[in-house]
Amino acid sequence: MSVLPFPSFLDDIKEKGLKKALFEGANEVTERLTAGMNIQDIREALRGENPSRRPNPRLTPHADGFWLHMRPSYFHRDMTGLYPTFRLGWLSTYFVFFETITGIILMLWYTPSPDIAYGNMLNILSNVPLGQFVRDLHRLGAEAMVLIVFLHMLRTFYTGSYKKPRQFTWFTGVILLILTGLLSFTGYLLPWDQLALWAVTIGASMAEATPLVGEQVNLLVRGGPELGANGLLRFYLAHVLLLPAFLFIFTGVHYYKVIVHGHSLPPRSENPGEDTAKRVPLDKRVYFIPEVMTNEIMWAAVTTFILVVLCVWFYHAPLESHADPQVTPLGTTAPWYFLWIQGALKLGDKTFWGIIFPTALLGFLAVMPYLDVTVSRRFAHRRFAFSVSFVMLALLVVTSYMGLPEFGVATSPDTEILHEMTFEPAHNHMGVLRPVPFDQVVVGNYTTREFEAEAGNAQAAVAAFNEELQTTGQAQQLTNLLREQHLAVPALRFTTVPADAPELRHAMETFARKIQAENQELVNGWGVLIVTQNQENLRRLDLVISWDEVLVENGEVVRDENGNPVFVLDENGNRVRRMTPAHFFLHRNAGYYE
Amino acid sequence: MASASAAKPKSAAAAESKTADKAAVQVSAPSRREFLYYIWGASIALFLGQSTVGLLLFAYPRFKEGEFGGVFTIAADEIPETGAPPVSKPAGRFWLSNHEDGFTALYGVCTHLGCLPKWVDTNGRFECPCHGSKFELSGKYIEGPAPRDLDRFQATVIFTDGTTAETNANGDPIPLNGRTVQEVRVNTGARILGPRHL
Repeated sequence: MSVLPFPSFLDDIKEKGLKKALFEGANEVTERLTAGMNIQDIREALRGENPSRRPNPRLTPHADGFWLHMRPSYFHRDMTGLYPTFRLGWLSTYFVFFETITGIILMLWYTPSPDIAYGNMLNILSNVPLGQFVRDLHRLGAEAMVLIVFLHMLRTFYTGSYKKPRQFTWFTGVILLILTGLLSFTGYLLPWDQLALWAVTIGASMAEATPLVGEQVNLLVRGGPELGANGLLRFYLAHVLLLPAFLFIFTGVHYYKVIVHGHSLPPRSENPGEDTAKRVPLDKRVYFIPEVMTNEIMWAAVTTFILVVLCVWFYHAPLESHADPQVTPLGTTAPWYFLWIQGALKLGDKTFWGIIFPTALLGFLAVMPYLDVTVSRRFAHRRFAFSVSFVMLALLVVTSYMGLPEFGVATSPDTEILHEMTFEPAHNHMGVLRPVPFDQVVVGNYTTREFEAEAGNAQAAVAAFNEELQTTGQAQQLTNLLREQHLAVPALRFTTVPADAPELRHAMETFARKIQAENQELVNGWGVLIVTQNQENLRRLDLVISWDEVLVENGEVVRDENGNPVFVLDENGNRVRRMTPAHFFLHRNAGYYE
Repeated sequence: MASASAAKPKSAAAAESKTADKAAVQVSAPSRREFLYYIWGASIALFLGQSTVGLLLFAYPRFKEGEFGGVFTIAADEIPETGAPPVSKPAGRFWLSNHEDGFTALYGVCTHLGCLPKWVDTNGRFECPCHGSKFELSGKYIEGPAPRDLDRFQATVIFTDGTTAETNANGDPIPLNGRTVQEVRVNTGARILGPRHL
């Protein structure tokens, strides 16, 4: 007898030899871990052979193990192909776990406070190894999840899988869709940048339109009259605790219902009104081990691979400048999956289109299986349902398009151009002038006239521009305008852009081209850039667009009978010269050009 | 794994069935399909391993200058005279101690169970409020349950003449030898354990 704590193993070695004893020990451990399958059983399964012993060891993990007890041990052959599921349900589940894992990882470096949340983001992006990568994965995964869950719902609709007895499965699915949207939406605020603050402000403002208790709902959601520390904490807690809890619970209910009723077969596999999902003939069975299991792992692996490739080379989660409750950036939109509500809101009443319409729509979706009691799942028998769905999808596209800032929020071309030249980094884009290296932003006065001239005439064009400013009195107007902007400049003399500043030249060319492109409204338009330096390493860039004002009605230039634009005239009958300014500061260490 | 099954040659399938006939318990060498599963499983395991390493890198804290765990720069006028009471730098959890053997940056945490010994000027020694361990100005153990002298941080003394002196691997004091100190850099990320007494 051995004194060691594993006497039987030592006895085994004595009895059978080391190799055989080791092999049998490993076999036993494997069988315990897999709740029923030893090494040989696993190998047989992977080789595509039939199990060599009875009872079938591939069924024991489903009966005895925890993880597989919630998975069916076999599926119907007709629903294990790409059609009819497109693996969208499995992918939705995958994203629930993917987002949970990447989310928990990100929480290591995040504190939900307006004071440091944005600093946390900068730290994650620039200081934490793989920080940007994990954030990109989490953000891209969130957007993909919204899409996948939506497609899953579409698929379920088109195969008629919501019909009796699976109405409640569909109902919980709609809840999961709403939870997914809310999770994405609450996550939007957490970086505490301009995009976050204003996209969520827009979204939360819709809650304000709730009849009767709008004000109270708004205060509850935002934790105050405007989004601040309380609001950020509420959104954070909803994002990491409340909504995930509901998501997990309803994912459980949803999948339980799927198993209880069986995966619905393709409509053509059974007669209308029949539900044979739970009666799978022996010759139609595809066993979970190994076929379905390896297939699911394959889909998870491929999706992970795609996400990784996208986040390494093609996608970066946007981060704009720090949230500023005083300034709404031009062109702010809600997240893309809320664009349809944004578009609908432009149709009219905030209460109706912002609250009643989406609530009614989601409510209709939720109870739809109880309203549509037609029996057949065949495509040919569901012409009306399909037609309604196509109309709804078309409406979704149209209202989403209407939600874009391009639709309906037309601003004047001068404001638009100045914005395009100067806007702060957003969605990985920034104003044309921002990325010009500091050393190329040479102090001086430049005009777009230089770039309208023929090649070689740049000097003459600028000289003529200086002359024109003096004779028309526009020089005085320009100086006054700049003084209103708190920029005191002596007599402005414009020069050509220095030859050693190609990036600045390029930006000015773009500026000139943009003004030229709007010459219907910006008649005789020019733009100038005035670079001044009042502090070491800090330069101020002033842009001014000037043009002869013409009559504009409903966004269209008014024309006389000859097709010429009608100019706005002052009391003396002279054309009115309009000027619009914009400025920003550029620091040597701003690093926009990196 | 469509490619695996499509590429599976007939001979392999035949060989498999033959072995299955021979003995039910006997499993032959890996088939192509099985091998590809192993490769695939190994690549997933490799990926998960990489992810774990990445996660550890992600989670590992980084130290900034002027934060505990990072490097502190101390001006010359903060260094006490030789034999004078030590100067506490609470942000860096250390004491600046200047004694006859030289300069030491002492970690202010007792080597016994992590309490913070105070400098008691009347007794001229560090005394731990928890279990009464006592240490000299140089950090040397006097009495009490502490197993070691006070721990010290790796320090670099920069003199006005441009020369520098660094704490050695044992954490011995840096002799100043009357030279004028310009500044001292204390690396609170590099703690050197005090020598054990008997």
